[in-house]
Amino acid sequence: MKKNNDDLFRFVEYSAEAAERTGYSDYSYWKSVFQNFLKKKSAVVMAFIFFGLVIFSFIALAIGKYDYAELLTDSALAFQAPNGEFWFGTDNLGRDYWCQVWFAAQTSIKLAIIVALGECFVGVTIGCLWGYVRVLDRPLTEIYNVINNIPMIIYMTLIALLIGQSFTVMAISLICFGWLPMARNVRNLVLMYRDREYNLASRCLGTPVWRVLVKNILPYLISIIILRLALSIPSTIALESTLSYLGLGLGIDTPSLGILLRNARNYFLDYPYLLIFPAVIVSLITITFYLVGNAFSDAADPRNHV
Amino acid sequence: MKKRTKVLALVLALGMVLTGCGSSSAGGNGSGDGIKDLVTWETSNREMENMVILNTEMANDLNVLGNCVEGLLETDAQGKLIPGLAKEWGTEDGGLTWTFKLREGVKWVDVNGNEKADCTAQDFVTGLEWVMNFHKNGAANTSMPTSLIKGAGEYYEYTKNLPAEEALSMDNTKFLEMVGIETPDDYTVVYHCITNATYFDTVCPSACLYPMSAAFVAEVGVENVLGSSNETIWYNGPYTLTEYIQGNTKTLTKNPTYWDKECSLFDTVTIRIIEDITVGFQLYQNGELDHIDLSEANLRTIWNDENNEYRDQLVEKLPRKYSYQMHFNYDKYNEDGTPDTNYNTAIANEAFRQSIYYGLDLTKYFERTNFINPLKCENNAYTMKGLLYFSDGTEYTAKVKELLGFGESDGKTPVRFDGAKAQELKAKAMEELSAKGVTFPVELDYYIVAGSQNALDTATVLQQIFSECLGDDYIKLNVGTYVSSQTKEVIQPQLHSFVINGWGADYGDPQNFLGQETYGEDTAYYSNNYSNINNATDADLIATYKEFTDLVNKANAITDDMDARYFAYAEAEAYMLQHALSVPTLLDISWQLTHVNDYTRSNAMFGIQNYMYKNWETSVDAYTTEQYDAIAEEFYK
Amino acid sequence: MVKYTIKRLLQTLVTVLIVATIVFLLMRMLPTDYFFTEDQLMKLTPEQKQEQLEAAGLTDPVGEQLIRFYGQILRFDFGESRRIQSGVDVVKVIGSKFTVSMRLGCTALVISLFVGVFIDIIQTINKDKLLDHIGTGYTIFVNAVPSLVSYSLVLVFGSTVLGLPSLYSTRNPGPSSILPVVCLSLASIAHYALWTRRYMVDELNKDYIKLARVKGMSFNSIMVKHVFKNAFVPLVQYIPTSFLYTIGGSLLVERFFSVPGMGPLLNDAIIRYDVNVVQTLAIIYGTMGTVGVFLGDVLMMLLDPRIKLVGKGETR
Repeated sequence: MKKNNDDLFRFVEYSAEAAERTGYSDYSYWKSVFQNFLKKKSAVVMAFIFFGLVIFSFIALAIGKYDYAELLTDSALAFQAPNGEFWFGTDNLGRDYWCQVWFAAQTSIKLAIIVALGECFVGVTIGCLWGYVRVLDRPLTEIYNVINNIPMIIYMTLIALLIGQSFTVMAISLICFGWLPMARNVRNLVLMYRDREYNLASRCLGTPVWRVLVKNILPYLISIIILRLALSIPSTIALESTLSYLGLGLGIDTPSLGILLRNARNYFLDYPYLLIFPAVIVSLITITFYLVGNAFSDAADPRNHV
Repeated sequence: MKKRTKVLALVLALGMVLTGCGSSSAGGNGSGDGIKDLVTWETSNREMENMVILNTEMANDLNVLGNCVEGLLETDAQGKLIPGLAKEWGTEDGGLTWTFKLREGVKWVDVNGNEKADCTAQDFVTGLEWVMNFHKNGAANTSMPTSLIKGAGEYYEYTKNLPAEEALSMDNTKFLEMVGIETPDDYTVVYHCITNATYFDTVCPSACLYPMSAAFVAEVGVENVLGSSNETIWYNGPYTLTEYIQGNTKTLTKNPTYWDKECSLFDTVTIRIIEDITVGFQLYQNGELDHIDLSEANLRTIWNDENNEYRDQLVEKLPRKYSYQMHFNYDKYNEDGTPDTNYNTAIANEAFRQSIYYGLDLTKYFERTNFINPLKCENNAYTMKGLLYFSDGTEYTAKVKELLGFGESDGKTPVRFDGAKAQELKAKAMEELSAKGVTFPVELDYYIVAGSQNALDTATVLQQIFSECLGDDYIKLNVGTYVSSQTKEVIQPQLHSFVINGWGADYGDPQNFLGQETYGEDTAYYSNNYSNINNATDADLIATYKEFTDLVNKANAITDDMDARYFAYAEAEAYMLQHALSVPTLLDISWQLTHVNDYTRSNAMFGIQNYMYKNWETSVDAYTTEQYDAIAEEFYK
Repeated sequence: MVKYTIKRLLQTLVTVLIVATIVFLLMRMLPTDYFFTEDQLMKLTPEQKQEQLEAAGLTDPVGEQLIRFYGQILRFDFGESRRIQSGVDVVKVIGSKFTVSMRLGCTALVISLFVGVFIDIIQTINKDKLLDHIGTGYTIFVNAVPSLVSYSLVLVFGSTVLGLPSLYSTRNPGPSSILPVVCLSLASIAHYALWTRRYMVDELNKDYIKLARVKGMSFNSIMVKHVFKNAFVPLVQYIPTSFLYTIGGSLLVERFFSVPGMGPLLNDAIIRYDVNVVQTLAIIYGTMGTVGVFLGDVLMMLLDPRIKLVGKGETR
């Protein structure tokens, strides 16, 4: 069984490329995040429920017996409890509640998601720069202080008076004033991590700022960012209902869950279903988002990887 | 450590409540002769702002201050004038000169009831001087004295041109010289009017003629009068405002020195601020309020449930003192600032307006206010019902309805609604207007306040009524919103097609109503602000308006025979309505639960005394529907 | 440190001044018509309106008004309220309100800090057990239901079932404060519980904890000595701000329970164009916010020496 060893072992030429490859592992951050996330069955179910809800809001409008745009008032039909004709009952004017709820759900989900993503994007970008780049600390703190310390009601009143009320205006103004907590949160975390030894090392090796931010620091922040994102959804819905309550919310042609809930406040003791249906949908959105966000933020924590 | 004490205190307090140490509920005095301490309410957006009665024109303030300061005359449950500080009054020259004889022994007191001074004729001079002095009072409450009292307007202009220092330090000498008011003795006030103001006495219950003590001004200093608190102002009315917590509570306490020893007063009246009437209903249920208006949902629940504990306590309120009208805009602009020619041409057409006048079955609209007796809310006059009466007791608006040819309602549809006639008018209008190049449907814009679901619901109902009664091919009603001020956001840019609101009377004469709609007169409020009739170009429309204006002016010239005067006004009003220059909509009659007999309260269509808590009859147990019906029947007999 | 403090306080002054200026200018952006009540708009002639605006100094060029405004601030003269309480000094109007808000707010804050952190510790100790899920359920519920609705529920439940007074009353502030305080605490308990939990779980995953376990430290002493202390650092920054913000009150809660506090004041003042009140409030809120951030930074620095705010110029 003696073999010629020369056939088995031979010298290779030095190749920098190949040398680099030895240090390479098959690790991809986002792939691990998703792998970890998918392991949490409950969260996956929640994610499905959420998407199901969104899709169903469209189906619901299609299968409903009444068309939102053509609702008629009829005081004889006011406050009908849910029945075969009116699946969610009727409101104080005798209009079908089913199509109102689902129409409002669509508006609210759309607004909440747009605002959450917008806030997240603006907030994280500014927050990272704010925390990391020291020269920006002063001016950004100043801007933050100024925007944050002028009560939002002043802005919203002025916007409503001078520009008007619509979905776009609402979304943009909520983003404009909503990125602040996210930015501040991110900034504080960046402050904590920026002077850690490995970042010091990175900086000594001449890594550019954006690379340190994106590769070294951001992964630590993702769990917090996602949690804030998930929480921003209910807070947007709540804020929207508060603003509507003050007359500063969406225009009258765009009913939202916030508005339905605000109205139900006057009726729910006598006609609880008017509160329950929108409240359940709001809660579903919130809970699914919260749980998915929680699981995702656990999965996004690089320390739980590998 | 301090914080922890607070937590402990809270826990202790909780314990106290749970063991039943709560204060006794309102109206729980148990005696047969009504409530001693009334607890009433006001919603938070109607909180009081000003403590100086001469400086405010807002009902929020006057409803409270009317209890603190007393004027020359009061009003009673029938809406008639009764003596106040003046024990007798009258005119002998058809309304040019009015003499008031004052009661003696009336005292000004401070908040604790300590006597400060006597209330004399001089106080009325000081009061009017204060009102008309620009630097003392701004321009608050000046409109009526300016138009009625000799020299008042001139005095206002005179003070305006003075340096502030000088105007503030002025005493009454110059004023008495310039203005038509005099005090022959300490207990007589004489007013000289510009015209034959046969109705001048009905201005007396308004804030502009209320007294003010010169000694009070001297005490607090002239520059500190505005900005007085309830602690510093002087009182001569039935109550003193002993507690004022902005946004929470106001307490009126009986004034022991009040001149009218015969009248019945509450020991205290507490006015609580509530967020809305839904919260208020809960408070009522807990016995924390003595009366509450019912929201739509509450009313429906109680009405639909035979066994509800409040089912037999539902009582109908008296109408609010506004006669709601659809005021058309004859010079409408689009949002981009261009004139809305299509609409302007259409609304100038009489058949078009009349089709709206006859064609709208407003029953569903009334149901928003009163779904139990919707047709009770129907309004067919421009002037408010109950403002005045002919000498034979006929109510003025009844005469207007008679002239219009409206009979009694059949209980199913509003009296005015005439579908067949409306269809004819519609066809006529479409024909005439198409010839003028008007495109159909004509778009009407109606604006409501943003954020009020109630307003939106009502507008939705109205929209549907337009669509069902007049057809989508004819008129399309759009609903828009304003954020905080209708006047600023809608009326001034002239964006509205019509505004629905009601005029609150300043004094008891039809001139106060019809005079707001005349053509080409600066004093006509609705013409200048809402209908913009003076900018209209359509010859027929202007001719109609001029005719109406002539009728009004002719009526106004009759000062010797009141019946003839009122009849002439009724004819002018009927003319106006027949030509649908304005479309009456609603009388606001809603439902409530109450311990108060509304038929004993002052119920005048003018003045500020409907919230004067004097001679109110109350019941420890809530009134029942039956009791109230009996009281109403007795009242109208 | 002293130098840093002085510097930060000066910065605070600058910020407050900028805030005041911006609010001042924003209010001037509103058409002057907002100065009048609907009634006045109807009844006053254009000349009378013009005269009133002139008397109030609103017709002067904005620059001039601004300089006058700065002069007033320097003299601590905030002017008179116009429509909240006509003619009364703004300081007096606000002074009568802020103690009420602060009393309720501080009570609620203390309650929610303790209860929130307590709930959270229980949750973390029992991670993934029943108590954890109950806690999470509560957090989710409170966050899921908009406050407009949850306050109504508290109001109805408290007044009809428990028989608590549903309107705040100065005659018996104790019992009538219960419901507003519950409402105020409800949300912030969830807030604190949520974030403390997040930070604590993050902290538990760190290597030094594993080391401590390996060294044989008991779980409880790890929790108290390390985890809680470290998790508290990011949280602590918000505490001074929260305390100061209690002065501002809560719009919804104070409206619902008719608490005569600061909460609804700003909104009311804007709607009524009570410029002096709005400006003064803006200065107050501005000061609270900036001082709060500053105190938060200092607290964070004291608790975690690794955080450096005073730049030593060592990095870019």
